[in-house]
Amino acid sequence: MADLNGIRIGVYVCHCGKNIGGTVRCDEVAEYARQLPGVALATDSLYTCSEPGQEQIKHDIREHQLNRVVVASCTPRLHEPTFRAACESAGLNPYLLEMANIREHCSWVHLHDKDAATEKAKDLVAMAVGRAAKLMPQFEVTVPVARKAMVIGGGVAGIQAALDMADAGYQVYLVERTGSIGGRMAQIDKTFPTMDCSICILAPKMSEVGRHPNIELLTLSEVQEVQGHIGNFKVKVLKKARYVTKECTACGDCIKASPQHAPDEFNAGLSIRRAIYIPFAQAVPSTFLVDMDRCLNNSGIVACDRCFQACSHKCIDFAANDEVLDLDVGTIVVATGVDVYDPTALTELGYGKFPNVITTLEFERLINAGGPSGGELIRPSDRRRPQRVAFLQCIGSRSKRSNPYCSNVCCMNTVKDALLIKEHWPDTEIYVFYIDIRAFGKGFEDLFQRARREGVTFVRGIPGEIIEDIKTGDLTLLGENTLLGKHYRHRMDMVILSVGIKPHKDADKIQRLLNLATDTDGFYMEAHPKLRPVDTTTGGVFLAGAAEGPKDIKDSVTQASAAASRANILMSRGEVKIPAITSRIDPKKCTACGLCARVCPYHAIEGSKEQGFYRVIEAACQGCGACVPECRFGALDQTHFTEDQIVSQINAALASDPHDKILAFACNWCSYAGADFAGVSRIQYPHNVRIIRTMCSARVSPSWIEKAFIMGAGAVLVSGCHPADCHYNNANQNTARRVERFWKRMEKQGINKDRLRLAWVSAAEGAQFAKVIKEMEAGLKKLTSQQIQEAAEKLQKSLTKKSEAT
Amino acid sequence: MKFWRLPLDAEAHTIPHGKVNIIWNRCKGCGFCIEFCPNSCLKESKHFNAKGYHPPEVVLQAEDCVECGLCSLICPEFAIFTELKEAKEITEEDIQKVTIRYSRKDKRYQKR
Repeated sequence: MADLNGIRIGVYVCHCGKNIGGTVRCDEVAEYARQLPGVALATDSLYTCSEPGQEQIKHDIREHQLNRVVVASCTPRLHEPTFRAACESAGLNPYLLEMANIREHCSWVHLHDKDAATEKAKDLVAMAVGRAAKLMPQFEVTVPVARKAMVIGGGVAGIQAALDMADAGYQVYLVERTGSIGGRMAQIDKTFPTMDCSICILAPKMSEVGRHPNIELLTLSEVQEVQGHIGNFKVKVLKKARYVTKECTACGDCIKASPQHAPDEFNAGLSIRRAIYIPFAQAVPSTFLVDMDRCLNNSGIVACDRCFQACSHKCIDFAANDEVLDLDVGTIVVATGVDVYDPTALTELGYGKFPNVITTLEFERLINAGGPSGGELIRPSDRRRPQRVAFLQCIGSRSKRSNPYCSNVCCMNTVKDALLIKEHWPDTEIYVFYIDIRAFGKGFEDLFQRARREGVTFVRGIPGEIIEDIKTGDLTLLGENTLLGKHYRHRMDMVILSVGIKPHKDADKIQRLLNLATDTDGFYMEAHPKLRPVDTTTGGVFLAGAAEGPKDIKDSVTQASAAASRANILMSRGEVKIPAITSRIDPKKCTACGLCARVCPYHAIEGSKEQGFYRVIEAACQGCGACVPECRFGALDQTHFTEDQIVSQINAALASDPHDKILAFACNWCSYAGADFAGVSRIQYPHNVRIIRTMCSARVSPSWIEKAFIMGAGAVLVSGCHPADCHYNNANQNTARRVERFWKRMEKQGINKDRLRLAWVSAAEGAQFAKVIKEMEAGLKKLTSQQIQEAAEKLQKSLTKKSEAT
Repeated sequence: MKFWRLPLDAEAHTIPHGKVNIIWNRCKGCGFCIEFCPNSCLKESKHFNAKGYHPPEVVLQAEDCVECGLCSLICPEFAIFTELKEAKEITEEDIQKVTIRYSRKDKRYQKR
């Protein structure tokens, strides 16, 4: 269509192979786009993101003097940077690009309804064109990146990440919660598939961390608070007192003197430690520490000084205090690791009651030469060497009763453990009860076959019950061999439960501090599962190790190096561009009421009544837009998510058949990503939903909801991150407040308030998003057009009344 | 994970064990020893002494006394003292006590 005040929009409809083209008739969509106001050119191509596709856009910008570009393809969360770069290289401001998500939000979720999907794609393109016409060029500010990094967690992943960054020349703070770095790998005896001694290969790395000039090791420390943004994080770390000074030579004279004991965590409770102890022999730092939970001096007075008396160097200091350290870092690597599953809940296995049922972690300590039995395999009940040993797989994994996911490492760990027993005591009979043996990695199958050759018996079918003989402590396993279809009954001397792994219990604390997303299993979510596997949705924060998903040592180290390298890229460049999505205040309209400053989660709006105006501190503004709907005078607006732009999207979305449509507002970080996830998972849901993206759900203005209903929208959905998971410091509590106020208004005017729905959908909850849409669709079916019309008239009347009053 | 079994090296460990002696009629019932005993071995007796105070008494499971001697140090009336007895082995009960205390997050066992 012809020009619209000189605006020339180019529309590119992508087939994405069969991903979009298989469902949506892309040529028809492009044909439709040509009729839209301001569109100078519309075309469809097989892969717009490919080199020829991008070249086409660049060529058209120059040739046809395009000044706006709309790409209808996948989610902007995937390829917006790609197309922005293409625009920029053709001399067009990157903020003049708009994307219509016709893959994740259309073709993939309406696979079996080509007509409806095509109609929806047309609407989505019309919405994008509407918004594109209102886009303005924006210029990003660059902020410096502090050349310092923090690594949270001192397991093998944290150690590797810290070493890689420190070797690159950057200052690294390694924050570890316990008294020594080393993590789970330090507890393990041997590693699979090479049967290397675990601590022998880890200890040199640990001591390298200890003496590296660029690494500051903070043990017994916990992250308390994280403020700031990519490049400039301000972190508060609580460093708990160790009560033993650096002069400690780890001679161990104090141990015998200490009258207080506790189970040794490092040996999985199989040995005793004292209140003053060293976590393990190879600990770094190689310094004792006092467990104040067990020490007699824990109420603030020195009741007992026996360890002090025994210490020849006098390096015990009960006057030491906890400190809070303030760190300024540019990047953060999260490597919080995993806990093991506690099988006590599975009562049929008798863990916690039968002494001869142990976990694989306990086994690792038993078979380790430095462990409580000096490397002898013994039964806990009578200290005899077991002749018949059973391994039970998938304990706490792949089950609805415990964790639904596969823990990745247990199969090979069991094969390795079985071989270790065979190596030392070849006459031991070993049975492995399994569901599936997953030997997928390099060298894994060889190891598995070796175990079979050595005479380890693999039985398919986990025992349903374990019975203990009280006199002898022997165990009888009852179950079904699912390959033979026969019941079995095996008498064993010892049972080893191959327990799964789960996210560390403190993982949710770190998640909240850093605004990370977690999947349904509780592991941290990567920014993109394929292409950005170590990035998080929070800029400058990277993931390493099993905190992101169950991993063996090799994968953890690989990912740690990847995370360190991603952080190094940021730090070596030394500056980063901040998206131009900040809020702005029009000083002419501002009445200095200060309401916006009150809702800003970052205290980025300053000013006072006396001063007569308020202003946005651009460097501190994170671009949530929570302040904009708060202004009653229309003085505020958010760059790139302006009132005009969103309203034109609403107009386009509801241009035809508004009564049948659901208008959904989704926040960029959780709900929009959740809708994307529904697409990736091909979860089908009704096609009458039209999604509008905002950065935060708090940007959603009640006036938009009002406008949608006046235009006759059947239903409106406002969705954001779960409370406390908000990407913007709980800005979404404003969303809830505003929606509740609108509900009250609807109630007062006699409008069915079910038509406005507030839903919290996280990035991992694609199914939840689909469920919400299905429920809303069911509610919509019960409405008559007359009801919708009446409600629209009521709202229109009150709106005109209000505007007359002002 | 909760620790529940008796550690394998339990018999190799002994812990000092003390006997608490209370000079019944010298006590003025200030309660310092009860308040400050780090292992909570003492409680206020229901009975009166000659002066009409409630002196402390050793709680029934007083196996916990490790003879730190704090009670005799802070008693203003020199009415309590401890003697070192034979060192005692760690039993399953001791371990359970520790784990229960850990899990209960007893106020006394939290960080100062």
